[in-house]
Amino acid sequence: MAATVTEQILDRAHNAAVSMDERGLVTYWNPSAASMFGIRRDEAIGRPVADLIIPPRLRSAHRAGLERFLAEGVGPILDQRIEIVAQRADGTELPVEMTISALRDGSSWTFHAFVQDISARKTAEHEHERLVEELRQALRGSDRRFDAIVGSLSDAVTIRDREHRFVYANRAALAHLGFDSWAQLRRTPPAEIMADYEVWGEDGREITMDEIPSVRILRGEAAEPLLIRTVDRRSGDQRWNLLKASPLLSASGEVEATITIIEDVTEPKRAERRAAFLAQASEVLASSLDYQKTLRNVAALAVPDIVDWCAVDLLDEDGDRVSVAVAHTDPDRIRLAEQLRSYEPAQLDPERGLGLVLRTGEPQLYPEIRDEALVQSAVDDRHLELLRAVGLRSAALVPMRIGRRILGAMTLVSAESGRVLDQSDVVLAEQVAARAAVAIENSRLYSERSSIAHTLQQSLLPEQLPEIPGYELASVYIPAFESSEVGGDFYDAWEVDGSWMLTIGDVTGKGVQAAALTSLVRHTMRAVSEFVSSPAEILARVDSTLKDQRPRSICTAMCVRLEQSRATLAVGGHPLPLYITPGEVSEVGEYGPLLGGFPDVHWDDVALELAPNSTLVAYTDGVTDAIGADGMRYGLARLRQTLAECCQWRSADDVIQGLTDALGEFQVGAHADDTAVLVIRRRSPVALAPQQETAEVDRTDAVAASP
Amino acid sequence: MVRPTKFEMSQTSSGSSLTLSIAGELDMQTIEVLAARVDQNRKQQFTSLTLDLGELAFMDSSGLKYLIELNDRSQSEAWRLKLIRPRHAAAATVLRVTGADTFLPFEREAGP
Repeated sequence: MAATVTEQILDRAHNAAVSMDERGLVTYWNPSAASMFGIRRDEAIGRPVADLIIPPRLRSAHRAGLERFLAEGVGPILDQRIEIVAQRADGTELPVEMTISALRDGSSWTFHAFVQDISARKTAEHEHERLVEELRQALRGSDRRFDAIVGSLSDAVTIRDREHRFVYANRAALAHLGFDSWAQLRRTPPAEIMADYEVWGEDGREITMDEIPSVRILRGEAAEPLLIRTVDRRSGDQRWNLLKASPLLSASGEVEATITIIEDVTEPKRAERRAAFLAQASEVLASSLDYQKTLRNVAALAVPDIVDWCAVDLLDEDGDRVSVAVAHTDPDRIRLAEQLRSYEPAQLDPERGLGLVLRTGEPQLYPEIRDEALVQSAVDDRHLELLRAVGLRSAALVPMRIGRRILGAMTLVSAESGRVLDQSDVVLAEQVAARAAVAIENSRLYSERSSIAHTLQQSLLPEQLPEIPGYELASVYIPAFESSEVGGDFYDAWEVDGSWMLTIGDVTGKGVQAAALTSLVRHTMRAVSEFVSSPAEILARVDSTLKDQRPRSICTAMCVRLEQSRATLAVGGHPLPLYITPGEVSEVGEYGPLLGGFPDVHWDDVALELAPNSTLVAYTDGVTDAIGADGMRYGLARLRQTLAECCQWRSADDVIQGLTDALGEFQVGAHADDTAVLVIRRRSPVALAPQQETAEVDRTDAVAASP
Repeated sequence: MVRPTKFEMSQTSSGSSLTLSIAGELDMQTIEVLAARVDQNRKQQFTSLTLDLGELAFMDSSGLKYLIELNDRSQSEAWRLKLIRPRHAAAATVLRVTGADTFLPFEREAGP
């Protein structure tokens, strides 16, 4: 050991450095060794290492090891860290960590040892062991089977000390944390374990170490059970765990450790989330006939609970694919998807992905989408960049179909969550897709039917009310909300030999039959009016026509004939029209029986003069039967009130507007029944003059003014 | 949204006479309930059916149509239909306005 520089360094080393020769005698002893063992350098040099620092019980092993090395060249403990017990000058022992190297010095060996006092560490470890043992004792109580019981619990149980190091983990906990053995877990710092997982709260927020119940307890806070969703960054495995922690108190009442029970609620939680999703999706799908909107809402429901992305594509009449919905919680990512779409060919590949699903109607599951697959499908670098940016990990595509007819497909994609989709995701998606398909089909059928109904209904009403000299006409028809069927209310107005016929009525029933009946009534009236001028007689003819019908067909109707200022009217089971003059509203006409209902019936005409500025309002019972808050019906009294207000010096159109506004305000919900209103307003001669009406009109009014 | 209709029906029978008492509203929806009950009882071949409309609060044209059809049926199937007038004005008005109170077999004012 002539290397004085080396010795100088070693003299200042924190660790004890001891060298010995082949005989086991000390050749070097640094100051740290002196203080560690309580033996000065001059006392140590030349003396056997064994006598100085090795406890008596280990000395023979030391000598045997040295001899074997010298004889056979085998040194199993050389050049590695070993933990061993050493002895001080006063005979007390201390745990040390030591590394021994053997160096050839000329023809003989020298041995150099670096020794570190690890008694502090050992104390802590002992403390730890003691705690574990105490905990076990405490937990075990009188029952000695603690580990047997807790160890085999399916819930993961961990105990951590005040530094949040693991003191205990049962088998389930080890498996849960991804460790093979207790020793392996103990070597790994808690933060490192956490780093392998993304941890989310139930509300979708990321959970930090500080929020973990056991950590909160150590901070002296109360800790409610915490439901967390973890995604293993390595495997993409997603789990739901319920963490429940409670403190272990020392005799003095301080928190000595925490016990955490980790309950794996993944299956029930997934089932719950899925059931909730399915229920919400079903509700959304049934909520509206606007299927494009409902599909967008369903897609939005699926993220991020079920998947990261949800997309819906439909096939249009030409079999072309139309994107209806792309949902993700992050709008930036949706823009990414839109950019991606521009790379997709107009014609989908019928052998792959969406094209395959839309062609075959078979679901497709891609549990692991590897980068090679992206590289393969990318058309250029930018495309590949986008594909990678989306970070596709896993995808499930299911068809939406009615029988064998494929309406479209629903695509679930897992990306940043790292989740691997499996067969259960396919099953869930199929359930939603089946409901969606029915909703789409219903909605398409409904719009078709309701457009037929609308066309039919329009054909049953006059396209345009005629211009009647001296009068203003206006009408409204509001079909019942609930059905796409043709309703039974009708009105009409036509000219016969210089006089005008107007009618309003209600055919009982719905749909095509009601439409046919309405048509029959209107055309009978028009035809009969060519020969018969009395409204009562016209009703009688309609009545007998209806009585020829099978099954029983009934109708209520009011028919009025206008000849200049004179109105002649008859009513068959229909609400009497209201005659409104400034200051007065009265029912006019006389009730006769409804049409088609009873044998041996007749109707009477009632005639009246219509004063200038007077208004005749005929309506169907949809008006008076309209239901308001508390189930009240609109009724005749309200109708009279409303008309008294809105007939004051206003046009026929204004009256219709005023009445529909009042009805809309009164009514709760949509119209339960068809509603029709016909307004006949006699013009004022004064008001006519500036409007450049014909001379004929002026003459008519002149006659009316002097009956 | 259509408001659910208030409708109640009770049934008593004596021999081959059946009485159905209706309270509430008779419209397109509740007619189905009444019709089903009548059809069900037709299997027992009653010879007389009394519809007590005393507590009927409202009736629309489909309710009226059903009464007319029931009257037709009583004649073709040879059983007796008796109707008891509604006390509520709204229902009574519909019967009066349409002439049904004259032409359908309503009991005399006093009732049995």
